[in-house]
Amino acid sequence: MEEQLAELAAKIAELEATSAGAAVTNTMFAETFYYLTIPLMIIIHAGFLAYEMGASRLKNVLSSGVKNILAFAFMIPTFYFFGWWVYWGFPTGFPGAPGPAGISGVEYANSIALGWGDAAQYMGPNIADQASGVFFGAFALFAATTASIMSGAVIERIQTVGFIILAVVLGSFAWVVAAAWGWHADGWMVTKWGVHDFGAAGLVHAVAGFFALGVLINLGPRIGKFNPDGTANHIAGHNMPLTVTGLMLIIVGFFGFLMACVIVPGEGWSWFADKPATIYGTPITLSALAFNILMAIAGGIIGAWVITRDPFWMMSGALAGIISTASGLDIYFPGLTFIIAFSAGLILKSCADWLERRGIDDAVGAVTVHGTIGLYGVIMLGVWGSGYPALQGAAGDAPTISLIGQIIGAAVFFLCGFVPGYIVSYILKMFGMLRIREGAEIAGMDIVKVPAHGYPEWGPKAPNAAE
Amino acid sequence: MFPYEQATWDVVDGAMFQLWGTSMPGIFTLIAALICVLVLVVGQRTETEKAKRFD
Repeated sequence: MEEQLAELAAKIAELEATSAGAAVTNTMFAETFYYLTIPLMIIIHAGFLAYEMGASRLKNVLSSGVKNILAFAFMIPTFYFFGWWVYWGFPTGFPGAPGPAGISGVEYANSIALGWGDAAQYMGPNIADQASGVFFGAFALFAATTASIMSGAVIERIQTVGFIILAVVLGSFAWVVAAAWGWHADGWMVTKWGVHDFGAAGLVHAVAGFFALGVLINLGPRIGKFNPDGTANHIAGHNMPLTVTGLMLIIVGFFGFLMACVIVPGEGWSWFADKPATIYGTPITLSALAFNILMAIAGGIIGAWVITRDPFWMMSGALAGIISTASGLDIYFPGLTFIIAFSAGLILKSCADWLERRGIDDAVGAVTVHGTIGLYGVIMLGVWGSGYPALQGAAGDAPTISLIGQIIGAAVFFLCGFVPGYIVSYILKMFGMLRIREGAEIAGMDIVKVPAHGYPEWGPKAPNAAE
Repeated sequence: MFPYEQATWDVVDGAMFQLWGTSMPGIFTLIAALICVLVLVVGQRTETEKAKRFD
Protein backbone atom coordinates (compact mmCIF):
# COMPACT_ATOMS: atom_id res chain seq x y z
CA MET A 1 0.00 0.00 0.00
CA GLU A 2 2.74 2.41 1.00
CA GLU A 3 4.66 1.52 -2.11
CA GLN A 4 1.62 2.22 -4.27
CA LEU A 5 1.10 5.58 -2.56
CA ALA A 6 4.72 6.50 -3.11
CA GLU A 7 4.43 5.48 -6.75
CA LEU A 8 1.29 7.59 -7.12
CA ALA A 9 2.97 10.58 -5.47
CA ALA A 10 5.93 10.22 -7.82
CA LYS A 11 3.60 10.14 -10.81
CA ILE A 12 1.78 13.26 -9.60
CA ALA A 13 5.09 15.05 -9.09
CA GLU A 14 6.15 14.02 -12.59
CA LEU A 15 2.87 15.29 -14.06
CA GLU A 16 3.21 18.58 -12.18
CA ALA A 17 6.74 19.01 -13.45
CA THR A 18 5.60 18.28 -17.01
CA SER A 19 2.74 20.73 -16.64
CA ALA A 20 5.04 23.45 -15.27
CA GLY A 21 7.45 22.76 -18.12
CA ALA A 22 4.64 23.08 -20.65
CA ALA A 23 3.57 26.37 -19.10
CA VAL A 24 7.12 27.71 -19.32
CA THR A 25 7.34 26.55 -22.92
CA ASN A 26 4.05 28.25 -23.79
CA THR A 27 5.11 31.48 -22.11
CA MET A 28 8.44 31.40 -23.89
CA PHE A 29 6.66 30.68 -27.18
CA ALA A 30 4.27 33.58 -26.65
CA GLU A 31 7.10 35.96 -25.84
CA THR A 32 9.16 34.79 -28.81
CA PHE A 33 6.15 35.00 -31.12
CA TYR A 34 5.76 38.75 -30.54
CA TYR A 35 9.50 39.35 -30.28
CA LEU A 36 9.95 38.01 -33.81
CA THR A 37 7.24 40.27 -35.19
CA ILE A 38 9.45 43.26 -34.29
CA PRO A 39 12.32 42.59 -36.74
CA LEU A 40 9.78 41.45 -39.32
CA MET A 41 8.05 44.80 -39.01
CA ILE A 42 11.38 46.61 -39.21
CA ILE A 43 11.53 45.08 -42.69
CA ILE A 44 8.45 47.19 -43.47
CA HIS A 45 10.49 50.22 -42.51
CA ALA A 46 13.43 49.04 -44.61
CA GLY A 47 11.00 48.65 -47.49
CA PHE A 48 9.61 52.15 -47.10
CA LEU A 49 13.17 53.46 -46.91
CA ALA A 50 14.13 51.86 -50.22
CA TYR A 51 10.80 52.75 -51.78
CA GLU A 52 11.07 56.46 -50.89
CA MET A 53 14.69 56.78 -51.85
CA GLY A 54 14.03 55.12 -55.19
CA ALA A 55 11.06 57.42 -55.79
CA SER A 56 13.20 60.49 -55.10
CA ARG A 57 15.24 62.28 -57.71
CA LEU A 58 18.99 61.94 -57.35
CA LYS A 59 19.31 65.36 -55.72
CA ASN A 60 16.98 64.31 -52.89
CA VAL A 61 17.74 60.63 -52.43
CA LEU A 62 19.58 60.78 -49.10
CA SER A 63 17.40 63.44 -47.51
CA SER A 64 14.37 61.23 -48.18
CA GLY A 65 16.20 58.38 -46.47
CA VAL A 66 17.30 60.50 -43.51
CA LYS A 67 13.73 61.66 -42.98
CA ASN A 68 12.48 58.09 -42.89
CA ILE A 69 15.22 56.93 -40.52
CA LEU A 70 14.51 59.82 -38.15
CA ALA A 71 10.79 59.02 -38.19
CA PHE A 72 11.62 55.57 -36.87
CA ALA A 73 14.03 56.95 -34.29
CA PHE A 74 11.56 59.46 -32.86
CA MET A 75 8.60 57.12 -33.04
CA ILE A 76 9.99 54.57 -30.63
CA PRO A 77 10.72 56.87 -27.64
CA THR A 78 7.59 58.98 -28.08
CA PHE A 79 5.46 55.85 -28.25
CA TYR A 80 7.20 54.78 -25.05
CA PHE A 81 6.67 58.18 -23.39
CA PHE A 82 2.95 58.52 -24.14
CA GLY A 83 1.66 56.52 -27.14
CA TRP A 84 1.36 53.25 -25.23
CA TRP A 85 -0.43 55.11 -22.41
CA VAL A 86 -2.92 56.66 -24.85
CA TYR A 87 -3.79 53.22 -26.24
CA TRP A 88 -4.75 51.82 -22.84
CA GLY A 89 -6.22 55.04 -21.51
CA PHE A 90 -8.93 56.00 -23.97
CA PRO A 91 -10.75 53.03 -25.57
CA THR A 92 -14.08 54.23 -24.16
CA GLY A 93 -13.41 57.74 -25.44
CA PHE A 94 -12.55 60.86 -23.51
CA PRO A 95 -12.02 61.38 -20.57
CA GLY A 96 -10.87 57.76 -20.27
CA ALA A 97 -13.39 55.84 -18.18
CA PRO A 98 -12.78 52.12 -17.57
CA GLY A 99 -14.46 49.72 -20.03
CA PRO A 100 -16.37 46.48 -19.43
CA ALA A 101 -13.39 44.20 -20.12
CA GLY A 102 -11.44 45.87 -17.32
CA ILE A 103 -8.34 46.56 -19.39
CA SER A 104 -8.78 50.21 -20.22
CA GLY A 105 -9.19 53.68 -18.77
CA VAL A 106 -6.78 56.32 -17.57
CA GLU A 107 -6.45 54.68 -14.17
CA TYR A 108 -5.54 51.35 -15.78
CA ALA A 109 -3.10 53.05 -18.17
CA ASN A 110 -1.51 54.86 -15.23
CA SER A 111 -0.89 51.48 -13.60
CA ILE A 112 0.83 49.76 -16.53
CA ALA A 113 1.99 52.18 -19.20
CA LEU A 114 4.03 54.98 -17.67
CA GLY A 115 7.80 55.09 -17.48
CA TRP A 116 7.82 56.24 -13.87
CA GLY A 117 6.30 55.34 -10.49
CA ASP A 118 4.78 51.90 -9.86
CA ALA A 119 3.80 51.50 -13.51
CA ALA A 120 7.48 51.51 -14.48
CA GLN A 121 7.71 47.85 -13.40
CA TYR A 122 5.81 47.01 -16.62
CA MET A 123 7.92 49.35 -18.73
CA GLY A 124 11.32 47.76 -18.21
CA PRO A 125 13.10 44.48 -17.43
CA ASN A 126 10.95 42.39 -15.08
CA ILE A 127 11.43 38.64 -14.64
CA ALA A 128 7.74 38.27 -13.76
CA ASP A 129 6.54 40.01 -16.91
CA GLN A 130 7.31 38.36 -20.24
CA ALA A 131 4.59 40.15 -22.18
CA SER A 132 4.65 43.93 -21.78
CA GLY A 133 7.90 44.57 -23.62
CA VAL A 134 7.10 42.47 -26.67
CA PHE A 135 3.57 43.91 -26.90
CA PHE A 136 5.00 47.40 -26.60
CA GLY A 137 7.56 46.59 -29.29
CA ALA A 138 4.94 45.32 -31.71
CA PHE A 139 2.73 48.35 -31.17
CA ALA A 140 5.68 50.72 -31.49
CA LEU A 141 6.40 49.19 -34.89
CA PHE A 142 2.76 49.70 -35.92
CA ALA A 143 3.36 53.33 -35.01
CA ALA A 144 6.54 53.45 -37.09
CA THR A 145 4.59 52.03 -40.03
CA THR A 146 2.08 54.88 -39.89
CA ALA A 147 4.90 57.42 -39.96
CA SER A 148 6.52 55.66 -42.90
CA ILE A 149 3.25 55.75 -44.84
CA MET A 150 3.06 59.52 -44.47
CA SER A 151 6.77 59.91 -45.11
CA GLY A 152 6.64 58.78 -48.74
CA ALA A 153 3.87 61.17 -49.71
CA VAL A 154 5.76 64.31 -48.70
CA ILE A 155 9.23 63.67 -50.11
CA GLU A 156 11.39 66.26 -51.83
CA ARG A 157 10.02 69.45 -50.22
CA ILE A 158 9.34 69.02 -46.49
CA GLN A 159 11.51 70.32 -43.66
CA THR A 160 13.06 67.68 -41.43
CA VAL A 161 11.92 68.91 -38.01
CA GLY A 162 8.43 69.76 -39.25
CA PHE A 163 8.18 66.26 -40.65
CA ILE A 164 9.32 64.69 -37.38
CA ILE A 165 6.69 66.64 -35.43
CA LEU A 166 4.04 65.40 -37.86
CA ALA A 167 5.34 61.84 -37.59
CA VAL A 168 5.12 61.95 -33.80
CA VAL A 169 1.57 63.34 -33.86
CA LEU A 170 0.53 60.61 -36.29
CA GLY A 171 2.46 57.67 -34.86
CA SER A 172 2.24 58.33 -31.16
CA PHE A 173 -1.19 59.91 -31.01
CA ALA A 174 -3.57 59.98 -34.02
CA TRP A 175 -3.49 56.31 -35.00
CA VAL A 176 -3.25 55.29 -31.33
CA VAL A 177 -6.57 57.01 -30.61
CA ALA A 178 -8.11 55.21 -33.60
CA ALA A 179 -6.66 51.91 -32.34
CA ALA A 180 -7.97 52.48 -28.81
CA TRP A 181 -11.46 53.15 -30.19
CA GLY A 182 -11.60 50.47 -32.88
CA TRP A 183 -8.95 47.87 -32.05
CA HIS A 184 -9.44 47.13 -28.39
CA ALA A 185 -11.99 44.93 -26.65
CA ASP A 186 -13.22 48.00 -24.76
CA GLY A 187 -13.12 50.29 -27.79
CA TRP A 188 -16.37 52.22 -28.09
CA MET A 189 -16.58 51.64 -31.82
CA VAL A 190 -16.35 47.89 -31.19
CA THR A 191 -18.72 47.64 -28.25
CA LYS A 192 -21.31 50.05 -29.67
CA TRP A 193 -21.09 49.51 -33.43
CA GLY A 194 -19.38 46.17 -33.89
CA VAL A 195 -16.52 47.70 -35.87
CA HIS A 196 -14.10 44.97 -36.93
CA ASP A 197 -10.71 45.78 -38.45
CA PHE A 198 -8.53 42.77 -37.74
CA GLY A 199 -5.52 43.77 -39.84
CA ALA A 200 -5.79 47.54 -39.28
CA ALA A 201 -6.91 48.59 -42.78
CA GLY A 202 -8.63 51.57 -41.26
CA LEU A 203 -6.89 52.32 -38.01
CA VAL A 204 -3.36 52.14 -39.41
CA HIS A 205 -3.57 52.52 -43.19
CA ALA A 206 -6.52 54.85 -43.62
CA VAL A 207 -5.55 57.01 -40.65
CA ALA A 208 -2.00 57.39 -41.97
CA GLY A 209 -3.14 57.88 -45.56
CA PHE A 210 -5.59 60.64 -44.74
CA PHE A 211 -3.23 62.23 -42.25
CA ALA A 212 -0.85 62.48 -45.22
CA LEU A 213 -3.63 64.08 -47.29
CA GLY A 214 -4.16 66.75 -44.61
CA VAL A 215 -0.43 67.48 -44.67
CA LEU A 216 -0.22 67.52 -48.48
CA ILE A 217 -2.94 70.17 -48.73
CA ASN A 218 -0.85 72.56 -46.64
CA LEU A 219 2.52 71.43 -47.98
CA GLY A 220 1.69 71.94 -51.64
CA PRO A 221 3.12 70.20 -54.70
CA ARG A 222 6.79 69.94 -55.68
CA ILE A 223 8.07 72.67 -57.96
CA GLY A 224 7.38 71.57 -61.50
CA LYS A 225 4.72 69.03 -60.65
CA PHE A 226 1.83 71.04 -62.09
CA ASN A 227 1.67 73.25 -65.16
CA PRO A 228 -0.04 76.66 -65.10
CA ASP A 229 -3.14 75.10 -66.68
CA GLY A 230 -3.35 72.61 -63.80
CA THR A 231 -2.21 69.56 -65.72
CA ALA A 232 0.27 67.32 -63.91
CA ASN A 233 3.77 66.29 -64.90
CA HIS A 234 5.17 62.93 -63.93
CA ILE A 235 8.25 63.38 -61.74
CA ALA A 236 10.11 60.12 -62.06
CA GLY A 237 12.19 58.81 -59.18
CA HIS A 238 15.83 58.04 -59.83
CA ASN A 239 15.66 54.27 -59.27
CA MET A 240 12.53 52.29 -60.07
CA PRO A 241 14.13 48.90 -59.25
CA LEU A 242 14.94 50.15 -55.74
CA THR A 243 11.36 51.35 -55.31
CA VAL A 244 9.88 48.06 -56.47
CA THR A 245 12.22 46.06 -54.26
CA GLY A 246 11.24 48.30 -51.35
CA LEU A 247 7.59 47.56 -52.00
CA MET A 248 8.34 43.84 -51.96
CA LEU A 249 10.11 44.26 -48.62
CA ILE A 250 7.01 45.97 -47.24
CA ILE A 251 5.02 42.92 -48.30
CA VAL A 252 7.47 40.66 -46.44
CA GLY A 253 7.15 42.79 -43.34
CA PHE A 254 3.40 42.66 -43.48
CA PHE A 255 3.48 39.01 -42.57
CA GLY A 256 5.00 40.15 -39.28
CA PHE A 257 2.55 43.03 -38.95
CA LEU A 258 -0.46 40.75 -39.36
CA MET A 259 1.08 38.04 -37.19
CA ALA A 260 1.36 40.64 -34.44
CA CYS A 261 -2.40 41.18 -34.68
CA VAL A 262 -2.94 37.66 -33.29
CA ILE A 263 -3.30 36.95 -29.57
CA VAL A 264 -1.63 33.63 -28.77
CA PRO A 265 -3.41 31.15 -26.47
CA GLY A 266 -2.65 29.71 -23.09
CA GLU A 267 -1.37 32.74 -21.17
CA GLY A 268 -3.01 34.68 -18.37
CA TRP A 269 -3.70 37.53 -20.78
CA SER A 270 -4.87 35.27 -23.66
CA TRP A 271 -8.47 35.18 -24.80
CA PHE A 272 -8.49 31.39 -25.03
CA ALA A 273 -6.55 28.54 -23.46
CA ASP A 274 -6.51 26.48 -26.61
CA LYS A 275 -6.82 28.67 -29.69
CA PRO A 276 -5.43 31.95 -31.01
CA ALA A 277 -7.67 35.00 -31.18
CA THR A 278 -7.88 38.41 -32.77
CA ILE A 279 -7.44 41.49 -30.62
CA TYR A 280 -11.25 41.44 -30.27
CA GLY A 281 -11.18 37.95 -28.77
CA THR A 282 -12.68 36.29 -31.83
CA PRO A 283 -10.97 33.09 -33.00
CA ILE A 284 -8.40 33.10 -35.79
CA THR A 285 -5.64 30.86 -37.10
CA LEU A 286 -2.32 31.65 -38.72
CA SER A 287 -3.47 29.33 -41.50
CA ALA A 288 -6.29 31.75 -42.23
CA LEU A 289 -3.70 34.49 -42.60
CA ALA A 290 -1.49 32.36 -44.85
CA PHE A 291 -4.40 31.58 -47.19
CA ASN A 292 -5.72 35.08 -47.34
CA ILE A 293 -2.59 37.24 -47.35
CA LEU A 294 -1.13 35.28 -50.25
CA MET A 295 -4.37 35.43 -52.25
CA ALA A 296 -4.65 39.16 -51.50
CA ILE A 297 -1.13 39.88 -52.76
CA ALA A 298 -1.80 37.92 -55.94
CA GLY A 299 -5.19 39.52 -56.58
CA GLY A 300 -3.84 43.03 -56.06
CA ILE A 301 -0.89 42.53 -58.38
CA ILE A 302 -3.03 41.05 -61.14
CA GLY A 303 -5.64 43.81 -60.86
CA ALA A 304 -3.01 46.53 -61.10
CA TRP A 305 -1.22 44.76 -63.96
CA VAL A 306 -4.37 44.70 -66.07
CA ILE A 307 -4.75 48.45 -65.78
CA THR A 308 -1.20 49.79 -65.65
CA ARG A 309 1.48 47.24 -66.69
CA ASP A 310 3.71 49.34 -64.45
CA PRO A 311 5.81 47.50 -61.82
CA PHE A 312 5.43 50.41 -59.39
CA TRP A 313 1.67 50.14 -59.52
CA MET A 314 1.75 46.34 -59.59
CA MET A 315 3.65 46.22 -56.31
CA SER A 316 1.45 48.99 -54.96
CA GLY A 317 -1.39 46.70 -56.04
CA ALA A 318 0.07 43.96 -53.86
CA LEU A 319 -0.07 46.33 -50.91
CA ALA A 320 -3.56 47.42 -51.91
CA GLY A 321 -4.58 43.76 -52.08
CA ILE A 322 -3.52 43.19 -48.49
CA ILE A 323 -4.98 46.48 -47.25
CA SER A 324 -8.32 46.01 -49.00
CA THR A 325 -8.82 42.67 -47.25
CA ALA A 326 -6.99 43.34 -43.98
CA SER A 327 -10.15 44.05 -41.97
CA GLY A 328 -11.46 40.54 -42.61
CA LEU A 329 -8.39 38.36 -43.13
CA ASP A 330 -9.59 36.32 -40.16
CA ILE A 331 -12.90 35.34 -41.77
CA TYR A 332 -12.70 35.83 -45.54
CA PHE A 333 -12.72 32.85 -47.85
CA PRO A 334 -9.57 32.87 -50.04
CA GLY A 335 -11.52 33.02 -53.31
CA LEU A 336 -13.38 36.08 -52.06
CA THR A 337 -10.13 37.61 -50.79
CA PHE A 338 -8.68 37.30 -54.28
CA ILE A 339 -11.72 38.98 -55.85
CA ILE A 340 -11.70 41.91 -53.39
CA ALA A 341 -7.94 42.38 -53.77
CA PHE A 342 -8.27 42.21 -57.57
CA SER A 343 -10.91 44.93 -57.47
CA ALA A 344 -8.60 47.08 -55.31
CA GLY A 345 -5.81 46.63 -57.84
CA LEU A 346 -8.18 47.66 -60.63
CA ILE A 347 -9.30 50.92 -59.01
CA LEU A 348 -5.94 51.92 -57.54
CA LYS A 349 -4.46 53.96 -60.36
CA SER A 350 -7.67 55.78 -61.23
CA CYS A 351 -8.10 56.79 -57.56
CA ALA A 352 -4.54 58.19 -57.56
CA ASP A 353 -5.18 60.03 -60.84
CA TRP A 354 -8.38 61.51 -59.42
CA LEU A 355 -6.45 62.92 -56.49
CA GLU A 356 -3.72 64.29 -58.75
CA ARG A 357 -6.27 66.10 -60.89
CA ARG A 358 -7.27 67.97 -57.75
CA GLY A 359 -3.79 69.38 -57.36
CA ILE A 360 -2.50 66.96 -54.72
CA ASP A 361 1.10 65.88 -55.28
CA ASP A 362 1.31 62.56 -53.49
CA ALA A 363 4.77 61.42 -54.62
CA VAL A 364 4.21 57.71 -54.00
CA GLY A 365 0.44 57.28 -54.05
CA ALA A 366 0.27 56.80 -50.27
CA VAL A 367 -3.07 58.55 -49.84
CA THR A 368 -4.64 56.22 -52.37
CA VAL A 369 -2.92 52.96 -51.48
CA HIS A 370 -3.30 53.34 -47.73
CA GLY A 371 -6.07 55.89 -47.27
CA THR A 372 -8.64 55.23 -49.97
CA ILE A 373 -8.02 51.51 -50.19
CA GLY A 374 -7.93 51.27 -46.39
CA LEU A 375 -11.44 52.68 -46.15
CA TYR A 376 -12.51 50.49 -49.07
CA GLY A 377 -11.31 47.48 -47.07
CA VAL A 378 -13.15 48.52 -43.91
CA ILE A 379 -16.40 48.94 -45.84
CA MET A 380 -15.94 45.72 -47.86
CA LEU A 381 -16.02 43.79 -44.60
CA GLY A 382 -19.37 45.41 -43.86
CA VAL A 383 -20.61 44.10 -47.20
CA TRP A 384 -19.26 40.56 -46.83
CA GLY A 385 -18.95 40.03 -43.09
CA SER A 386 -22.25 41.32 -41.76
CA GLY A 387 -23.72 39.13 -39.06
CA TYR A 388 -20.42 37.97 -37.58
CA PRO A 389 -20.05 38.55 -33.83
CA ALA A 390 -17.60 41.42 -33.54
CA LEU A 391 -16.33 40.58 -30.11
CA GLN A 392 -16.08 37.68 -27.74
CA GLY A 393 -14.97 37.51 -24.17
CA ALA A 394 -15.14 39.41 -20.92
CA ALA A 395 -16.92 42.37 -22.45
CA GLY A 396 -20.11 40.29 -22.65
CA ASP A 397 -22.75 40.88 -25.31
CA ALA A 398 -21.46 42.68 -28.34
CA PRO A 399 -23.01 43.76 -31.59
CA THR A 400 -22.36 41.95 -34.82
CA ILE A 401 -20.41 43.29 -37.77
CA SER A 402 -22.65 45.40 -40.02
CA LEU A 403 -22.34 47.64 -43.05
CA ILE A 404 -23.49 50.68 -41.11
CA GLY A 405 -21.01 49.94 -38.31
CA GLN A 406 -18.16 49.61 -40.79
CA ILE A 407 -19.16 52.85 -42.54
CA ILE A 408 -19.16 54.64 -39.18
CA GLY A 409 -15.77 53.10 -38.46
CA ALA A 410 -14.46 54.26 -41.84
CA ALA A 411 -15.69 57.82 -41.20
CA VAL A 412 -14.06 57.93 -37.76
CA PHE A 413 -10.78 56.54 -39.11
CA PHE A 414 -10.83 59.18 -41.86
CA LEU A 415 -11.33 61.96 -39.32
CA CYS A 416 -8.72 60.55 -36.91
CA GLY A 417 -6.20 60.92 -39.72
CA PHE A 418 -7.23 63.93 -41.75
CA VAL A 419 -8.11 66.39 -38.96
CA PRO A 420 -4.85 66.24 -36.96
CA GLY A 421 -2.82 66.03 -40.17
CA TYR A 422 -4.41 69.17 -41.55
CA ILE A 423 -4.39 71.16 -38.29
CA VAL A 424 -0.83 70.37 -37.21
CA SER A 425 0.60 70.95 -40.69
CA TYR A 426 -1.33 74.22 -40.90
CA ILE A 427 0.25 75.35 -37.62
CA LEU A 428 3.70 74.30 -38.81
CA LYS A 429 3.12 76.23 -42.02
CA MET A 430 2.21 79.33 -40.01
CA PHE A 431 5.53 79.08 -38.18
CA GLY A 432 7.49 78.46 -41.38
CA MET A 433 8.40 74.92 -40.35
CA LEU A 434 6.64 72.91 -43.03
CA ARG A 435 8.13 73.50 -46.44
CA ILE A 436 11.78 73.92 -47.38
CA ARG A 437 12.78 77.21 -48.97
CA GLU A 438 12.36 77.40 -52.73
CA GLY A 439 16.05 77.80 -53.52
CA ALA A 440 16.94 74.74 -51.47
CA GLU A 441 14.19 72.70 -53.12
CA ILE A 442 15.51 73.59 -56.56
CA ALA A 443 19.14 72.99 -55.60
CA GLY A 444 18.27 69.65 -54.05
CA MET A 445 17.60 68.70 -50.45
CA ASP A 446 20.72 66.53 -50.16
CA ILE A 447 23.03 69.52 -50.62
CA VAL A 448 21.14 71.35 -47.88
CA LYS A 449 20.50 68.60 -45.38
CA VAL A 450 23.01 65.77 -45.80
CA PRO A 451 26.83 65.91 -45.66
CA ALA A 452 27.14 62.89 -47.94
CA HIS A 453 26.41 61.87 -51.53
CA GLY A 454 24.06 59.09 -52.56
CA TYR A 455 26.29 58.18 -55.47
CA PRO A 456 29.67 59.72 -54.61
CA GLU A 457 31.55 58.43 -57.67
CA TRP A 458 29.29 60.59 -59.82
CA GLY A 459 29.96 63.68 -57.67
CA PRO A 460 28.47 67.00 -58.67
CA LYS A 461 28.28 65.87 -62.30
CA ALA A 462 25.60 63.33 -61.48
CA PRO A 463 22.60 63.65 -63.76
CA ASN A 464 19.95 65.81 -62.07
CA ALA A 465 22.20 66.34 -59.05
CA ALA A 466 21.19 69.98 -59.11
CA GLU A 467 18.66 70.93 -61.72
CA MET B 1 -23.12 36.16 -43.42
CA PHE B 2 -22.13 34.18 -40.36
CA PRO B 3 -22.31 30.51 -41.30
CA TYR B 4 -23.98 29.37 -38.09
CA GLU B 5 -27.54 29.85 -36.87
CA GLN B 6 -26.58 31.60 -33.64
CA ALA B 7 -24.41 34.71 -33.87
CA THR B 8 -21.94 33.56 -31.25
CA TRP B 9 -18.45 32.14 -31.49
CA ASP B 10 -19.31 29.51 -28.89
CA VAL B 11 -21.02 27.38 -31.54
CA VAL B 12 -18.12 27.54 -34.02
CA ASP B 13 -16.08 24.36 -34.11
CA GLY B 14 -14.86 24.25 -37.68
CA ALA B 15 -14.93 26.33 -40.86
CA MET B 16 -15.76 29.93 -40.04
CA PHE B 17 -15.60 31.82 -43.32
CA GLN B 18 -18.55 33.52 -44.96
CA LEU B 19 -21.26 31.37 -46.48
CA TRP B 20 -19.64 28.09 -45.46
CA GLY B 21 -22.13 25.33 -46.20
CA THR B 22 -23.49 27.06 -49.30
CA SER B 23 -22.29 26.97 -52.87
CA MET B 24 -20.79 30.46 -52.61
CA PRO B 25 -17.23 29.48 -51.64
CA GLY B 26 -17.06 27.35 -54.77
CA ILE B 27 -18.45 30.20 -56.83
CA PHE B 28 -15.84 32.57 -55.38
CA THR B 29 -13.11 30.10 -56.32
CA LEU B 30 -14.51 29.76 -59.84
CA ILE B 31 -14.69 33.55 -60.29
CA ALA B 32 -11.12 33.93 -59.04
CA ALA B 33 -9.95 31.29 -61.51
CA LEU B 34 -11.88 32.91 -64.36
CA ILE B 35 -10.29 36.27 -63.52
CA CYS B 36 -6.85 34.69 -63.85
CA VAL B 37 -7.69 33.18 -67.25
CA LEU B 38 -9.38 36.33 -68.53
CA VAL B 39 -6.49 38.51 -67.47
CA LEU B 40 -4.06 36.26 -69.32
CA VAL B 41 -6.17 36.40 -72.48
CA VAL B 42 -6.41 40.19 -72.33
CA GLY B 43 -2.74 40.49 -71.45
CA GLN B 44 -1.64 38.34 -74.39
CA ARG B 45 -3.83 40.25 -76.81
CA THR B 46 -2.71 43.73 -75.78
CA GLU B 47 0.96 42.82 -75.54
CA THR B 48 0.89 41.28 -79.03
CA GLU B 49 -0.79 44.38 -80.44
CA LYS B 50 1.85 46.60 -78.90
CA ALA B 51 4.70 44.38 -80.07
CA LYS B 52 3.39 44.48 -83.66
CA ARG B 53 3.98 48.23 -83.73
CA PHE B 54 7.70 47.50 -83.68
CA ASP B 55 7.67 45.08 -86.65
